[in-house]
Amino acid sequence: MIAILAAVLVITNVITGLSVFYLAQPAATTVALCAGSAGASRAPPAVSQAVQVTIESSSSGFVVTISPPYKTTQATIKAIGPWAGPEATPFLRVLENFTRITGIPVQYQNIRQEDLRTILPTQFASGTAPGDVIFMVSSFIKANGAAHMVKLTGNISDSNYIPGSLDAVKVGADAYGGVYTGKIKPGFWYRKSFFQAHNLTVPTTFQEFKDLLVKISKISGIRTPIVSGDGVGWPLSDITEHFIATYGGAQMHRDLMAKTKAWTASDVRAVFADRLIPLLAGKCFSEPLEWNTVALTNWWGGLHALYFMGSWITGLVADPSDLGVFSLPAQAGITRGIVFAGDYFFVPKYTANLAEAQQLAGWLAGKDGQTYQVRQGGNIATALNVPSSEYPAVDRGVANLTNGVDILSDLDDTIGGDFQTNFWSQLQLLWVSPGQLDAVLASIQSKVPA
Amino acid sequence: MLRLVFFAPALLLVLLFVAYPVFATIGVSLFSSDGSFVGFGNYGTVLGSPDTANLNGFPKPPPYGTLIHNAIWIGIHLPLSLFLGLWLALVLRDVKGASWIKTAIFIGMVTPLIVGGILMLYLYDGNIGVVPSFFNLIGVQSLATGWLQHPVTLLFGLIFGSVWLWTGFSLIVYSAGLTTIPKDYWEAAKVDGTSTFRMFTRVTFPLLKPMTIVVITMTILWELKIFDLVFGATNPQGGVGGAADVLGLQMYRYAFVQLPANVGAAAAVATFLSILTMVATVATLRYMVKR
Repeated sequence: MIAILAAVLVITNVITGLSVFYLAQPAATTVALCAGSAGASRAPPAVSQAVQVTIESSSSGFVVTISPPYKTTQATIKAIGPWAGPEATPFLRVLENFTRITGIPVQYQNIRQEDLRTILPTQFASGTAPGDVIFMVSSFIKANGAAHMVKLTGNISDSNYIPGSLDAVKVGADAYGGVYTGKIKPGFWYRKSFFQAHNLTVPTTFQEFKDLLVKISKISGIRTPIVSGDGVGWPLSDITEHFIATYGGAQMHRDLMAKTKAWTASDVRAVFADRLIPLLAGKCFSEPLEWNTVALTNWWGGLHALYFMGSWITGLVADPSDLGVFSLPAQAGITRGIVFAGDYFFVPKYTANLAEAQQLAGWLAGKDGQTYQVRQGGNIATALNVPSSEYPAVDRGVANLTNGVDILSDLDDTIGGDFQTNFWSQLQLLWVSPGQLDAVLASIQSKVPA
Repeated sequence: MLRLVFFAPALLLVLLFVAYPVFATIGVSLFSSDGSFVGFGNYGTVLGSPDTANLNGFPKPPPYGTLIHNAIWIGIHLPLSLFLGLWLALVLRDVKGASWIKTAIFIGMVTPLIVGGILMLYLYDGNIGVVPSFFNLIGVQSLATGWLQHPVTLLFGLIFGSVWLWTGFSLIVYSAGLTTIPKDYWEAAKVDGTSTFRMFTRVTFPLLKPMTIVVITMTILWELKIFDLVFGATNPQGGVGGAADVLGLQMYRYAFVQLPANVGAAAAVATFLSILTMVATVATLRYMVKR
């Protein structure tokens, strides 16, 4: 008995120790960032050789320092963004180009926006900031802009952008942030090879969509037709927004975002009850799975056929040319919308390198910076004059999905605060307990800020 | 005078880093986020919120509210970790090489709770988790699913998982306590023909009472201030539908998630939490002094 107990405890703790060890390591992809990964083959050639790139491990993410190949007296500015691993690769190349052209060294640190929520208020209160250019959700920038952020109105102009792009970070006429590239959340992604192998076709009506799900569910080896990605809850919110913007229409989405329509209103409830709930109750969606590990792997491996995700997925799969995507089929008489989520940034008032930070902000907001990013896939430019020829073919296809539909801001990012986290958490509940629809909608409505 | 000189540095530190923050927090809790005085309004808001206590429709699966969830943590986690630690201490008392086993168990105690939370993400994952796989193996399909994805299993999964992280504490305290009991007592009881169970209830457990009080006090404090484990395993809302929400997370949300931040309500939760821990500590200390 004692021997068995001892053996079990030793094995458990060895496994724990190994798990802790591996979890504490920077992601393997971090090291491979500049050595090339999924996005490497499409990267602009030769540019990265012109600068020196140093990668350091850090307990709070990873830190990459990009310096010009010559000695410089320019101060190093620090950019903080949410991307790590393969997602960060394209952005690092953009920063490399910025350094190559301006001679300004840049240090990039990955900090999740959930963590910045804790870090920034305390640093602001003491008159400091963790970086010079910081990517953060628009609702946070709007709420804190006037007090703690540099007005970028003179530095970044509305006329450089797709109309409305800056609205989410404006207080009155003043913009306290800029918008970099963004991602479209177009619909359900599938592998073309899988659809061909099983003779599946893209649906054109909701009934065809349901028939497709039934057909997929009968394919051997399929767990559920759709895999539900989950992080802290946000991929589920993207799916929900897509249903609202398609079957409630773009105006319903805008009204919910403007807080002029209640989540418990009968037409909002109907979108859930008539469209989403039958699919959840019918086990067409999987349980929520970690979006960029288990869910991605299972979907790509053929355990599921469809995956609702933003356009950044093209940079996360082994063979982007095998990707296809379709939006939920339109309904006659309803003007559909598609969510476009911009990556917003700001320059804190407390930066010691204001001129350099503004220069980087201008670069990120402009055609040059964004062209390097979109060329590598997964992103759509917000700056005007980025030619469509710069996009990889799969992204041009994504961009085509926006033809004839209204472009909408991300609903929960725009409202933000504890509405957002509650929204995520309630959708996680809805996914496993679709019968609790009314309680979920009531809870979501209870957290809508005044 | 000399005594005061020696005492002053410690007093100064206590005043600066303990007393001042405590009174400042209480002060902040009396003001709204726009700076106006609201008295105990923030306490009313917090205690009246369904986030704090929500038993409407009971019996039902969680969420029951943060206060109730913290109470459930105490109700399940305290006896489990206490008696498991005691049992292991007794079983391992005379075992050769027991210190290695105790060290292995104690590793859970020194593992950062945020790491413990992330480990639970994987332990309870419906696809790759050890726990659902085990239940699948023995044919209990209702538990062969992602525990953290369902409100019914989320809270209890985290509580059961955390027993492993905390048992090392009671094991070490009880092991130390056992070394203070003279062996003569057990030998005398053995000579009198006392059964093992009776020896435990009449000799061992009563003599371990001071250790039991220490374990109970420290465990309750740990359970009241639980935050990082839940945060690591779920999200700022306490997971699916807020089913594992706790007071620590609620305080975090008021201060760092809500826009604009409601620091007054966060301070009210912090003060309320401090009062609860003081009640638990004073009650056990008074009990110890009486004895």
